[in-house]
Amino acid sequence: MDAIISMIQSLGIMLLAPLVAGIIKTVKARLQNRRGPSVLQPYFDLMKLLGKDSVVSPTVSWIFHVAPYVYFAGAFAAAAILSVAFFPRNNFGDLFTLIYVLALGRFFLVMASLDGGSAFGGMGGAREMFIGILVEPAMLLSILTIAIKAQTTNVGMMVESVGNPLLSLHYVFASLAFYIVLLTETGRIPVDNPDTHLELTMIHEGMVLEYSGRKLALIFWASAVKQLILIVLFVLLFLPGSIFSGAPIIGIILKVLLVALFIAGTETITNKMRLFNVPKFLALSCLLSLLALVAQ
Amino acid sequence: MLAGELYYLMLLLFGTGIVSVFFTRNSAKYTNYIAHSMALMGCVTAILCATFVFLEGEVMVALPVSLPFGVIGGSIDYLSAYFLLIVGVVGVATSIYAYGYSREYDHCRLPLMAGLYNAFLLSMVLVLTANHVIGFIIAWEVMSLVSFFLVNHEHEKSVNNRAAYIYIVMTHIGTVFIIIAFLLLSLGAGSMDFSQLRGYLVSETLRNIIFISVLIGFGTKAGMIPFHIWLPRAHPAAPSHISALMSGVMLKTAIYGMCRFFLEFLGIGPIWWGTLILVLAIITAVIGVLYAVIEHDLKRLLAYSSVENIGIILVGIGAGMVFMSSNQPILAGVAFSAALYHAFNHALFKSLYFMGAGAVMQATHTKNMEQLGGLIKRMPYTAVFCLVSSVAIASLPPLNGFVSEWLTFQALLFLPQAFLGLTGSFFSAVLIALLGLTGALAAACFVEAFGITFLAKPRSKSAAQAVEVSAPMLISMGVVAGLCVLLGIWPQMMLLVLNQTLMSFPGIDTVGLVNHEWYALAFTANQGSGGISTLGIILLLVSGFLVALLLHYRFGKEKVRIGETWTCGIVPNSHMEYTATGFSKSIRMVFKNIVHPHYETLVNANNNKYHGQKLSYHVRIRYVFVSVVYRPINEMIIRIAKFMKSIQTGSVQLYVGYIMAVTVIILIWSTGW
Repeated sequence: MDAIISMIQSLGIMLLAPLVAGIIKTVKARLQNRRGPSVLQPYFDLMKLLGKDSVVSPTVSWIFHVAPYVYFAGAFAAAAILSVAFFPRNNFGDLFTLIYVLALGRFFLVMASLDGGSAFGGMGGAREMFIGILVEPAMLLSILTIAIKAQTTNVGMMVESVGNPLLSLHYVFASLAFYIVLLTETGRIPVDNPDTHLELTMIHEGMVLEYSGRKLALIFWASAVKQLILIVLFVLLFLPGSIFSGAPIIGIILKVLLVALFIAGTETITNKMRLFNVPKFLALSCLLSLLALVAQ
Repeated sequence: MLAGELYYLMLLLFGTGIVSVFFTRNSAKYTNYIAHSMALMGCVTAILCATFVFLEGEVMVALPVSLPFGVIGGSIDYLSAYFLLIVGVVGVATSIYAYGYSREYDHCRLPLMAGLYNAFLLSMVLVLTANHVIGFIIAWEVMSLVSFFLVNHEHEKSVNNRAAYIYIVMTHIGTVFIIIAFLLLSLGAGSMDFSQLRGYLVSETLRNIIFISVLIGFGTKAGMIPFHIWLPRAHPAAPSHISALMSGVMLKTAIYGMCRFFLEFLGIGPIWWGTLILVLAIITAVIGVLYAVIEHDLKRLLAYSSVENIGIILVGIGAGMVFMSSNQPILAGVAFSAALYHAFNHALFKSLYFMGAGAVMQATHTKNMEQLGGLIKRMPYTAVFCLVSSVAIASLPPLNGFVSEWLTFQALLFLPQAFLGLTGSFFSAVLIALLGLTGALAAACFVEAFGITFLAKPRSKSAAQAVEVSAPMLISMGVVAGLCVLLGIWPQMMLLVLNQTLMSFPGIDTVGLVNHEWYALAFTANQGSGGISTLGIILLLVSGFLVALLLHYRFGKEKVRIGETWTCGIVPNSHMEYTATGFSKSIRMVFKNIVHPHYETLVNANNNKYHGQKLSYHVRIRYVFVSVVYRPINEMIIRIAKFMKSIQTGSVQLYVGYIMAVTVIILIWSTGW
């Protein structure tokens, strides 16, 4: 039974991820006085890309062809690990594993970006790796604000230990810290711009410049899944407290929507920062996490 | 006892390997086959011997060598057997590899190299099995000297010379401290037999001095920062299969020495021992990988990465000692299992990458990554093995690096149970964050190492004309790559061995780690618990992969058109590719306070006024430890030497005068004024 529910949950994450991406996009457009695409636009894009043929450079090797699958598989595995974690007694919803499974996808995608042999891909890949390096300690620290108290990295047990707390300084600091990590890891303004691959902003989008057709669809989808996973983690660990105690899943969905609105708002009111200001931005997150540890 | 006989057989095989080269020295072919076959059989015997020890129990072997200090004996207990297993496994791979690789050295003193290769293996085995102080130190010294000659094998190159001399100086500084530690300990015990050496026999101060000496002595051999400076010089200088052995196995003999002292001789110490090791270890890991990521010489990069991995192993040891001091046997078991698991993993994946680098060097005659590229098409198998190694080094699932890294993370997470209050949570959080940073930097480093070397277009003619290396080299790399996968998905096998290795030591309890499903890694300690399922991760990844494939073919087979990489309308060439220097530029900039890069741009505008300018760009790294620690010491020694020179003029009369003066002083002194 548990296995079936967790499969449904991970399937839900996979299927709803493009919707959340669409919602963020639409809300952002409305906030900027534009009409924007429909919230279902990511699904249309995916369907379109999945039906297209692709152009492949003669320079590339099999790494280029395999990388989108590994990236997708990483996101899929992470979604499954997260949904297993809704059952606290299951021993295998480990957070380190989740982070490292996602890192596996990034590892291969950056390699593929070097495979094309152009400066654009290499630059995007190098920057993605650079940001990956900086975000790792910040992410671990923000998660540790809860894991150390819970003395486990099992997501389910961590959620259980969080319980239904009162609003405290600890949670304010910790959630701010994780929010910064969330923005960075999902390639949002002020760190990266998900809508363009111009040279100035190109990080994630620059990295996948050589991809087209179905492989691009896989990368696109996996990125959306990764984004939703991080949002759900944020909701579970840093926005605790149940709104609907009878059906916690509704509370989670509402909170995910809230976070999506918040991200759209953040993207509207901030500017893209210089690449070399990102370390400071993430240092802020680290500092907030340490403060959260103190405030505990 | 079969293990004892196998032990003698192993010594005999290595010995035959050493002697055989004197008879076959006129034929490169026979030298290669006979000497390396002896080494191969010796290493197989080492594996068998270790296996029998694990099956049948510890054995004592007395070597028929009698010295004034007593009969030098050997014993193989579980700890020795564990490290003997590492020597055996890596040795088998490098010996097979050597069949193909040493053809490079047909005209470069091959008999010497092959003989020393056997001697190197023999000395490491003796280090691991000696149970007498003098025997240990002799074996240790032989190991250092043999590896010195191997590092200096291509002594025509002055850079190798220098590397070898720095290596021998550093390793002897280490040996001095090791001897101090042993002598102080045996002074208290009144015996030089390992079984008599116990820390409680000496005073507390002396025990602390021994601890510091052990840390410096074995830390120098292991490449712990700030004693690491020999490592990035010596490893690239040696022939690649020797580098693989040095990095994979020789560094582990230092880890063995530390385990021997910390677990057995010194007993459970005060908590600051473990804390000090943790701090030094995390610095070693972060700085080591930082230097690795900005390196563009493939073998130096690997050497720095070894420094990093030694750091991770020491994190495990340090955490284990902290838990031992605070009476947390289960957590100590987790931490020491993490350290020893990682020691084995590092031996595998680092020797694999060194062998891969050797294959690249044999095919292209360069180890400068900026001149490589595109090798994945010319050398497909080598590329796959290096990719496996890269994923393992970056500690990504589902390979073996992830398992030991995960255990290390878990051990650190439970540090608050040893240090109470805020200190514990702070210490634990910062250590985990820095270990995470290390992991991410290692991933970047090996994306760079693999991506620049094997992907895109070749950057030089030699890389464009590379051909795949010979079968023995590929087979040996394949075996090690297979083991990396095996240890990644079957952790229980290793944990079973580790349990037997560690259970006899006081203050450690590893029983909780075993007896799960074969694919599981789980434990429960006090208020915390953790677990992963390697099989689960693989199944999830595979099903993700299948879902992606399904999506891909959901709309029928796609048509693939070949189109050049977009480079703004210019025909792409290899000069447009990102370089290793470029890839790590942002990392260098952010960590510039640690790595101190200096940039030089040379513009040669002579060719054509409008285009065709030739730019050359150099990055020089100022190595802080060299300029802040070693150079001042070096200068001080030279200054003292200069001062001493003024009293040493070479005139015999003056020396007679000195003798006279000293005699007079002694005479006056002996009268007691």
